[in-house]
Amino acid sequence: MTDQNSRAAGERPLSRRALLTGSLGVGIVVAGARSSMGASSGPSTLARLAGTAHPQKTVHLAGTDGWVSMPAGSPADAPFFPDSLAPDPFNTYVFGFRDVTGMTAQQVAAQRGKAQISAPMLSFDEEDDITITLSNLGLLVRPDLFDGHTLHWHGFVNAIPLFDGVPELSLAVPVGRDFSYFYRPHDAGTYMYHCHFEDVEHVQMGMTGMVFIRPAQNKAPVGSDPLGTKYAYNDHDGSTRYDREFAFMLTELWSAAHYRDAHIQVSDWTDYDPSFWLLNGRGYPDTLQPGGDPLSTAAGRLQYQPITSLVRCNAGDRVLLRMSNLGYQNHAMTVDNIDLTIVAKDASLLKGRDGTQNYIVTNTVDVGPGESRDVIFVAPGPGEYLLYDRNYSYLANGGGPGYGGMMTKILVGAPGTYPAQSAANA
Amino acid sequence: MTTTGKLRTRFAERRVTIGLALTALLLAGVPAMSTAGAATSEGLECASATQQTFNLTAGDGYVSTPDGNSLYMWSYGMSSGGFQLPGPTLCVVSGQKVTVVLHNTLPEETSIVFPGQRGVTADGDPAQPQLNATGGMTSMVQAADANSGSVTYEFTAGSPGTYLYESGTDMNKQVQMGLYGALVVRPAGHPDQVNNRADSKFDPQHEYVFLLSEVDPDLHLAVERHDPVDWSSYRARYFMINGRSMPDTLAPNHASWLPHQPYGALVHIKPYDASTNPDPAVIRYLNAGTVNYPFHPHGSDERVVNTDGQALAGSNAEDLSYLKYDIDVQPGQSVDALMDWRDAEHWNASTNPIPTTIPAITDQLLVGPDTWFSESPYLGSKGAVPTNITDNNQCGEYYHVAHSHALEQATNYGATFGGMMTVFRIDPPAGCPAN
Repeated sequence: MTDQNSRAAGERPLSRRALLTGSLGVGIVVAGARSSMGASSGPSTLARLAGTAHPQKTVHLAGTDGWVSMPAGSPADAPFFPDSLAPDPFNTYVFGFRDVTGMTAQQVAAQRGKAQISAPMLSFDEEDDITITLSNLGLLVRPDLFDGHTLHWHGFVNAIPLFDGVPELSLAVPVGRDFSYFYRPHDAGTYMYHCHFEDVEHVQMGMTGMVFIRPAQNKAPVGSDPLGTKYAYNDHDGSTRYDREFAFMLTELWSAAHYRDAHIQVSDWTDYDPSFWLLNGRGYPDTLQPGGDPLSTAAGRLQYQPITSLVRCNAGDRVLLRMSNLGYQNHAMTVDNIDLTIVAKDASLLKGRDGTQNYIVTNTVDVGPGESRDVIFVAPGPGEYLLYDRNYSYLANGGGPGYGGMMTKILVGAPGTYPAQSAANA
Repeated sequence: MTTTGKLRTRFAERRVTIGLALTALLLAGVPAMSTAGAATSEGLECASATQQTFNLTAGDGYVSTPDGNSLYMWSYGMSSGGFQLPGPTLCVVSGQKVTVVLHNTLPEETSIVFPGQRGVTADGDPAQPQLNATGGMTSMVQAADANSGSVTYEFTAGSPGTYLYESGTDMNKQVQMGLYGALVVRPAGHPDQVNNRADSKFDPQHEYVFLLSEVDPDLHLAVERHDPVDWSSYRARYFMINGRSMPDTLAPNHASWLPHQPYGALVHIKPYDASTNPDPAVIRYLNAGTVNYPFHPHGSDERVVNTDGQALAGSNAEDLSYLKYDIDVQPGQSVDALMDWRDAEHWNASTNPIPTTIPAITDQLLVGPDTWFSESPYLGSKGAVPTNITDNNQCGEYYHVAHSHALEQATNYGATFGGMMTVFRIDPPAGCPAN
């Protein structure tokens, strides 16, 4: 197939006439055979009709260890937290990825021991030809370990094992080496990536990040939408149009396991008992701090947690929230007083094979381990709103008093308060 | 972390186990797959029955885990057979009468509940909660007496789909001990469909049950020793598909070295092809445990078409199915999902080579003393594997892993690449010549 056999029928193929006239989404005849799966395995018709070539995109990631900071004032949990080996102003040992695209070999090597959490946020367009080179810089604190690293693009459909990053089923990148993974994504949506080498350890240690794919529909907007309109999916009806997007990697952090990795001890992972609950690698109130640059010391103790979770938008904006969970617990992300519309789960638009829309309006979005959600809301009047995990036991830092954990704010300004968004989470 | 002593020991043991399992797989199971007669060594296997009547015996026995542990379990077996975990897979036709006779050899009374079935009776009376003289509940349904009791349940098979059957007596303990099995209800006249919708059609040669569960070995030891059970310290350490943990999940059905764990979980398919292989496989997920099992298949999405025995459809037959790359199965829930794998790019060494380069073998890290990797990116092609590595790959087939993404559940008592995990094997379109 199966160019005709699109992913969701909401993304069913377009006739050229429909595309030319802009009369999308109604009465379109499916050409060719359709299997009951309805999964794609090639460029969508939309992508082809939109004249998509395969633009080359390259990214260079490095895997290594490093130190980060859980929120100030978190109670001690001797001997695990704060870690006695942690250099000031940090308190927690991690593994992580860094974006070293464009750096010289010497500059790349200098990032050893400077991992970040959450991993760099990546975004591409459908049908891009993506080469991601992964360099394994080794572990500065644990030179005795010869751990490999890999890149598993979680949810990438129709992967071949070589590019799927499971070392037992293909290969891992040894210390001091690199390997280039290749991807040609055909399906828009919210995905994630993580290391799959001894995954229960490396994922918990912080080698987790988000990646999203922008739909071909961005290049051929629906109806009277102008070029430049942004959509989450090839919805053919504009229902996933958004003005701003914010992405959240949901994880937990088990201080004892991080301590033991730094101190040459092992964890029984079935004892899993997390201490911190994080959005993009930070616990509240650090989630509200601006985004930063791991090459700059300006952010102080958050230097290696550069991704902000603060949502800023103007009244009336359509806001897309992308949520991915690479923790080991379910999370129930809640916003009081704003209706949330779930338009996709696991990078699949909630439309049946016959095009029936099955979006879900709610105020709580359950995200299980390894799952993602795309949620759209229309910003109400100016004010402050909280986005938080409805499991209140996860709204603390290290069991301490007060508010913490998996929580952030949605700041809504009067129309015109915030300029057009330059990047996700900006 | 690969060098620490304790883990390295586990790691080495695990590798040996995998090697043994795979060797046995290659010897015993997979080569026979090219002949239709041996197809029962993989995938769903229905318990034999006459007129949808099943004689089950609740009894005890032992199962093994990949790290060498042995677990005391209770479970259902065919009365004509022996103890097995999980209980036999019962396949019936929607709307037709089903009879299940339960014989009890356990030291306490036990029963079976059949969620989702219609008009359930026990020894001819409506199934209903059982109360003691003071009004306290003793069982959710009529039970068979301890040691030698029996009870006959009858019902009309419910809506097409997949269901648990499990103990309705002291459920917290008895279900943890292993008293559960799968009930597959097929639409009348359409054994190749999940439900009554034509778009739920699957390839009957590639039908799988993933019955997910967990074990706290301390609790089982307490039951075996007739000690009190301390639920406050409950902590699951083993996580299973069809009563086995990775890598035992890869062994064929009825593997001789797993005498009481007859059901494997290896999914063995070929790439989707519109003309030669158009129908997807089906995986019927069931959760017999106490927490969600977020099951993540690599390599392809799966289309959820049924939950809890009900088709995902609107009141006017609209299709409300959806694709998922992670199926978060809740306790007691069933999810039926269609799956296939598609060769998206058709990489070919001569006509369409991959745009990157496989590193020299010295620049790869192959984990442990064996590998499934063909040392080639191309389906059906094999590169050289160093002689010190055990090569599990037959003909350049692909392997994708599928596992719980609550990653502590993808371990055997904490040791990685175990637990609730299996692999999807994708053979070249023409099959494996070695078969």
